[in-house]
Amino acid sequence: MVSDNHSIAARLRDVFFSYDRQSQPPEGDSTPTSSERAADGVLKSIDLDIPEGAFTVILGPSGGGKSTLLRTFNAIIPDFITGSFEGSIEVLNQDTTQTRVSDMATDVGFVLQDYESQLFATSIESELAFGPENIAVPPDEIAQRVSASAKLVGLDHLDRSREPADLSGGQKQRLVCGGVAAMHPQMLLLDEPTSDLDPKGTGQLLAAIRSLTGTELGTRSSQTTATSSTVETDWGGPETMVMVTHDITEALHADYAVILADGKITDTGPADQLLRSASTLRERDIAVPQLVDIFDRLGVPTSDLPLFVPDAIEVFESRGMDWNPEQLTVDGTAPAGTGSATGEVQFTLNDVSFSYESASETIPAVDDVSFQIEAGEVIALIGHNGSGKTTLAKQLNGLLTPDSGSVQFEGRDVSTYSMSEIGQSVGFVFQNPDHQIFANTVRKEVEFGPRNFDIQESELQTRVDSALQTVGLSEHENADPFNLSKGQRQRVALASILATHPRILIFDEPTTGLDAAQRDSFMSLITRLNQEENLTVIMITHSMQTVARYAPRSIVLRDGSIVYDGSTRALFADIERLEMNNLRPPPVVNLAQKLSSRSEKLSSSLPLSVHEFINCVNDTVSTRK
Amino acid sequence: MSRSSLYINRDSTLHRLDPRSTLAGIIGLFIAGYIFDHPAFAGVPMLVGFTVLVLVGGWPNLRRLTPIIVALFSVGLAVWPFFTPAGGSTLIAFGPVALTEREIFFALGRSERIATFIFGGLIFVTTTTNEEIVRGLRQLGFPYVFCFAIGTALRLFPTFIDAAQTVRQAQEARGLNVQSGGLRDRLRNYIPLLIPVFMTAFRNVTTQSMALEARGFDTQRQRTFYNKTSLKRVDWAVILVAFVIAVTAVWLRAQGFGTL
Repeated sequence: MVSDNHSIAARLRDVFFSYDRQSQPPEGDSTPTSSERAADGVLKSIDLDIPEGAFTVILGPSGGGKSTLLRTFNAIIPDFITGSFEGSIEVLNQDTTQTRVSDMATDVGFVLQDYESQLFATSIESELAFGPENIAVPPDEIAQRVSASAKLVGLDHLDRSREPADLSGGQKQRLVCGGVAAMHPQMLLLDEPTSDLDPKGTGQLLAAIRSLTGTELGTRSSQTTATSSTVETDWGGPETMVMVTHDITEALHADYAVILADGKITDTGPADQLLRSASTLRERDIAVPQLVDIFDRLGVPTSDLPLFVPDAIEVFESRGMDWNPEQLTVDGTAPAGTGSATGEVQFTLNDVSFSYESASETIPAVDDVSFQIEAGEVIALIGHNGSGKTTLAKQLNGLLTPDSGSVQFEGRDVSTYSMSEIGQSVGFVFQNPDHQIFANTVRKEVEFGPRNFDIQESELQTRVDSALQTVGLSEHENADPFNLSKGQRQRVALASILATHPRILIFDEPTTGLDAAQRDSFMSLITRLNQEENLTVIMITHSMQTVARYAPRSIVLRDGSIVYDGSTRALFADIERLEMNNLRPPPVVNLAQKLSSRSEKLSSSLPLSVHEFINCVNDTVSTRK
Repeated sequence: MSRSSLYINRDSTLHRLDPRSTLAGIIGLFIAGYIFDHPAFAGVPMLVGFTVLVLVGGWPNLRRLTPIIVALFSVGLAVWPFFTPAGGSTLIAFGPVALTEREIFFALGRSERIATFIFGGLIFVTTTTNEEIVRGLRQLGFPYVFCFAIGTALRLFPTFIDAAQTVRQAQEARGLNVQSGGLRDRLRNYIPLLIPVFMTAFRNVTTQSMALEARGFDTQRQRTFYNKTSLKRVDWAVILVAFVIAVTAVWLRAQGFGTL
């Protein structure tokens, strides 16, 4: 995968790894094939070169070994996590199998997904100084690095004595990046750094990463050296970056792409080529970039497929396609939730307010909120990190009681229900599956809810079977949940709620740990339950693509107040409102907006899915797929 | 969601002090609070502690701990009389219970002593960040691993409490009713609460130690301290005052003041 003008930053040869210490790849054969390896290997005969001076992205289905692979680059594997390891790894000319993590840290920086567990200090300043202190940078130089790093990640406007705990999610993750950057690593590893962030936080983090490298991402291969123009320091940013991500739009900025599935490298190549290869991506269960998907279906040859909106407009116009938004037929493919509201009101919220108490202050979280939810609706609850989405959702089933105002469920005040009474009707899937998993097998975990609700044994077993099948964990029913991947644990948590057969399902960021295929199958299931059994769905999500695709109604929260409550289609047609609330519509909506304003065919509603978009296109090329 | 750190970010003389001098000052207060039995004497360091705590902005912390302080104080008042012989005139007679002056003064003095300790401890955590505590302990010669462990424990405790709350909500939403059944059932009901809390803590600790090492943290290696402070004139002054207070208190006691 590496072209001639790049040297190698990381070289992996025949790497096998299993978290199980007992696991051994078969002996004797010097070149065992992957099928001969022990079945529980997370990495199986990996041969990989990561080019120096470039930005590489690692893609692949959930549980395929992406994070594990990344952890071999800074010796976390096999120094910190021993497991069973074989093979050779050389990173920046060091044999990582013989090097300690803390020694690699001077050259290799690592930003993990979970920003909370990477903040070690009680002020911004001491957080930025922590890494340099560890590698014994002289205090005078640390002072310079602290200032430079704060500026690099865009936190220099904040009071440096502020506690990291008070920052927003996006700011926290940028602080982690700044702390790593202050160590001046040559190589930067990022493990799903944006998966818990809102669209604005994601945008700001990506901007921070861009300013780290001193160049626009994706143009690095054409630069000879990376120099930062904004910050005066002898360090010009990490030469090499490797990022694991589920978000295909982030991957578009990379120079190289690697696809990892089931512990094996299936594809490598320049990112712009690999990400245009719609058939390969579909085959590997990786989300196809929406614009690629559209134009691939419109019959545009692979090499001409656009990755970004401006390219898409060019392709559209140069191929003489015609934009007819009035042809939009709302055919139920998007948003897919039928919103088959029966008119029967389930929830009524009147002037609900709620605040959290802390040592020094009262923090308002939900401020004077009123709305109704009817049976059979599918509603997206969106807004920035800390806007009060989760707090609001917890009022619906009485986990939190409003300070003022009232919440009624089916005509009765929520506070008059017992938890077990309301729990049978309202299922709540929490954001972090580890906050609920306690049983020693997957099956027992899923049985817990229905058992509490005294479901008959035979009925209970049927429900558990079907819930496990729905989330694709039937094969793992006897596994200890503790040993499953995060994505798998998320599915265990979901199954445990589905098995209680709720009439209302509330879920908090349910798709973060899921790959494209799992997300689609999960959302199709929810849609089916909504259409066939009139399940009411309230989802908290940052994924605008999921909102556009599945939720007819959106409620947008900002600082605890509702700033929009109405149809998702109208929300996405209103560019000003989107910008005002820092919402970034999916690429398909973005492109539709641009095409409509260019052709002056302004329409009150825009296509929300690839399928709807294609219906609005009249083209002369009749090679549609 | 809720923030539970006890440090309160203010700009006071005590906040600006070197953590070692703050510690010296607190120890001075503790000695003065410990040495007297008579409530009139033991009350002085208690009132000083209370005043300083309020002056440095510790009121919110105090308010949070009020129930605990009141409980300790009143339980102390009820229990301490049994640890001293009766003496002096009987002040309270209540059926078979009769409390003499000595017993009441003793109980009051001991309760004041505990309050002094709580106020002193609160002054320390209100004005000293975790980093300062770690750095201060390190500069006093404690091994870095020990200092870092103390700092981490102080920092993680609040997140631990937050996680426990979320776990409770998650399990209640799945129909767990901790209060149901007999004693055995009730104990068993706690399993779904305790396991996720400990497992989450375990996972966090694992991720955190991984992240720590990836950030170059290594107890066996030389490290530098940013913002390493040297004792300034005001720090020495505080240490001197603390020393004088401690010596004076011991001397007064030796002269027979503050005894019962």
